[in-house]
Amino acid sequence: MNRMEATVTEIRFGGFGGQGIIRSGIIIGRAASIYDNKSATMNQSFGPEARGGACSSQLVISEDRVLYPYVIRTDILVALSQEGYEKFVHELKDNGKLLYDEDLVKLKSTKRIDTYSIPATKFAEELGNRIIANVVMLGFLTSITQVVSKEAMNKALPESVPERYVELNIKAFDKGYKYGIEQKKAK
Amino acid sequence: MRANPRDVRTGILYIDGDVAAAEGALAAGCKFVGGYPITPSTEAAEAFVRRAPQVGAMFIQMEDELGSISAVMGASLSGKKSMTITSGPGFSLMMETIGFGAMLEIPFVIINIQRGGPSTGVPTKTGQADMMQARWGSQGDYEVITLSPDSPQESFDFTIKAFNLAEKYRVPVMLMSDECVGHMTEKVVVPEADKIEIEPRRLYKGPKDKYVPFKPDKDLVPPMVKAGDGYKLYLSALTHNERGYPTQNIKNSSSRRLIDKIRLNADDIIEIKEEGLEDAEVVVVSYGITSRVAFRAIEQARKLGIKVGNLRLVTVWPFPDKKITELSKKVKGFVVPEINYGQVVFEVERCVHGNANIILVPHGGASVHNPNDILTAIKTIVKDKKRYDGILEFKTELELRIFGSGDNK
Amino acid sequence: MNKNPILNALGETLKKVGIDKKKVCITSDIFYKPEDIKPLGVDFYHIHRGRSIAFATGLKLGNPALKVIAFIGDLSTLGGNHFVHAGRRNMNLVTICINNYIYPFKATKKPVKTSFSTYSNFERPFNMPHLAKSCGAVFVARWTSLHTKELSSSITKALHKSGFSAIEVISPGGHYFAGIPDLKEEPDLIKFYYKNSEIKNGEETMNLEIEFGKKIIVGEFIDRERPTFIDLYNKRLSKVLGDKFEPYGGNRD
Repeated sequence: MNRMEATVTEIRFGGFGGQGIIRSGIIIGRAASIYDNKSATMNQSFGPEARGGACSSQLVISEDRVLYPYVIRTDILVALSQEGYEKFVHELKDNGKLLYDEDLVKLKSTKRIDTYSIPATKFAEELGNRIIANVVMLGFLTSITQVVSKEAMNKALPESVPERYVELNIKAFDKGYKYGIEQKKAK
Repeated sequence: MRANPRDVRTGILYIDGDVAAAEGALAAGCKFVGGYPITPSTEAAEAFVRRAPQVGAMFIQMEDELGSISAVMGASLSGKKSMTITSGPGFSLMMETIGFGAMLEIPFVIINIQRGGPSTGVPTKTGQADMMQARWGSQGDYEVITLSPDSPQESFDFTIKAFNLAEKYRVPVMLMSDECVGHMTEKVVVPEADKIEIEPRRLYKGPKDKYVPFKPDKDLVPPMVKAGDGYKLYLSALTHNERGYPTQNIKNSSSRRLIDKIRLNADDIIEIKEEGLEDAEVVVVSYGITSRVAFRAIEQARKLGIKVGNLRLVTVWPFPDKKITELSKKVKGFVVPEINYGQVVFEVERCVHGNANIILVPHGGASVHNPNDILTAIKTIVKDKKRYDGILEFKTELELRIFGSGDNK
Repeated sequence: MNKNPILNALGETLKKVGIDKKKVCITSDIFYKPEDIKPLGVDFYHIHRGRSIAFATGLKLGNPALKVIAFIGDLSTLGGNHFVHAGRRNMNLVTICINNYIYPFKATKKPVKTSFSTYSNFERPFNMPHLAKSCGAVFVARWTSLHTKELSSSITKALHKSGFSAIEVISPGGHYFAGIPDLKEEPDLIKFYYKNSEIKNGEETMNLEIEFGKKIIVGEFIDRERPTFIDLYNKRLSKVLGDKFEPYGGNRD
């Protein structure tokens, strides 16, 4: 099955429970649908996976209404664990983008995909809390793919995290965003 | 009557269908939920629990689903707008009490986030196979109203509508959502309270000594009083007369009216969303999440030049008999996709009276249809002029898999 | 005077108890005729079987100002779970358990038959007061249906208690239970149980088993205080939510 909408972007987040995989989907979805005026449908995978186990979320962003709610062939895979990478890399489109944490994922595939790496967890630890690695990754994702606007993310992010962590989250986002710009230039 | 601003979380939210249903209930003035946790409906209950104490509402986790729904009956008769939230296994346990509620004409709402499969089934994946159970799952004759949302926005809107219908017709109303819609996070616009129309309870206003509990108004619905208001009520779940007293004389009982108040008011209750029906060769009849997936197929078919009409059942029960019969005289056929092996399709078949072809596009659950399956069915109708009795293709699970079952993996 | 001795005791109680009758609701999964209920002047709900206590819980939470009395059968052979949990929560209800020996009773010399146990019933009956106590009931009593005065006094106490009260009434139903040889008539049966009872107020509930050849011990066994569900709900949520919380139905109902 192919999606006919040319304007659809499908994103998969793969990682462990507790890494903020689902929250990542919610933050981008909120930014895209509320502040970028697109449609964004976020689904989380429910299974026997518990905290600490494999976890994934999927997001379909479209200019029009999203009809089919799940991803079919992903445009972007964000991997924060080896398992998340291995499990979902096969559904990436040719020339799809893989964004991964270079300390957590070792690439195996020879598929023709664009890869972008970032030491997201390391950055997060430097900022003081590894729990915001996902937000570093969101900054990275925003600058690399521009699937959502930075303005939209700036509005959506503070609404999606506890008040006392807003500042830290914004720092993490900016860190990832800047790193993305540098990486893009390097390519 | 307008919603109370305190109850309404006005704004643009990014929430899942479960949470949206809970927000809808709160906006509608729901003040009591008795529930028992069950996947995939848990998020709805959790959302209600968080907000309830701040708006004067009560959530109680009962000992089981039998207790949950029985408490809902009591709370509703005490004057609180009440509901319960559940999924298949819990829904099955509630059946007898749904019949009780229909019998005593208690307004209440059930949110059923359907899961896949019979029995314990697939708790974390979707299904639409509770439709027939919702209609007549309890013993005896009664009628209910069901609403099928296809998005978190509709979960919000339809839950309000569910409460309004429940209060207007004093009838069990079920929001037949499903895991896919329940766990899908999307934008939901919650309007200002004064933009939300709320149906107040039909309270009796006449002199106290003249009150007859089941004496209906013109629309066949009797007004209510609250428990403890000094009316010396005697309400029995036995077949009863207007006064609520047991009777074996069916003619004098409320039995017929339980049916008639829904069937004769069907035109007022039924809501369908139609589009492109004027010159349609094929009509896709769908409800809930399947409508949305089917629309993808409809768009594709239209690009191929096929004239496809879209008929969405917002209320599956009561069923829009007249509309289907009327269409059947004009079109080549109907395509009915549903996430079960054929339930609502039999109702379509009944109303088509053999006037047109019908293709069921079944799905075993745990995911949604592949729009290609629905497209193939649409193409089949257009090509094939031969008449069939009933269902043309009943694909087995195996064939479905070969066909591409819409598995999202 | 009501023909049904239990309703009669209830009627006498309601006359004197000093509670607004309008606020009294009876829920029952046992059928009572309208003509027997109407003189009580209260709201009456004949519930589908087994769900009397759960329904009563909803009525009470829907309007905490109500005084709700739930009639159940032999520990509601159906719905026993509701009894257990209403006790645990200490829902403010008065439960009147009409024990008509769906589960059997062997105070007689010969085995007892019921219509569902044609060859005599060999199962063990519940010790209802003991169960009620373990679940957390604040007031527990047992009487036969001919202990009208005592029963009325117990119902009065229960209505004034805050929390879950359980009163067992030994009252064999003639329709299903006509199996004791030589005691075919319902009045004889009721008298038989009355005669074979012994009042022991405050008896340890573990000693209240109804057993072969022994007297039925009746009386008031438990009378204690525990915070009710609504008390605890209000206390907890006021603590957590502060001013955002509006106490539910007043502190004391």
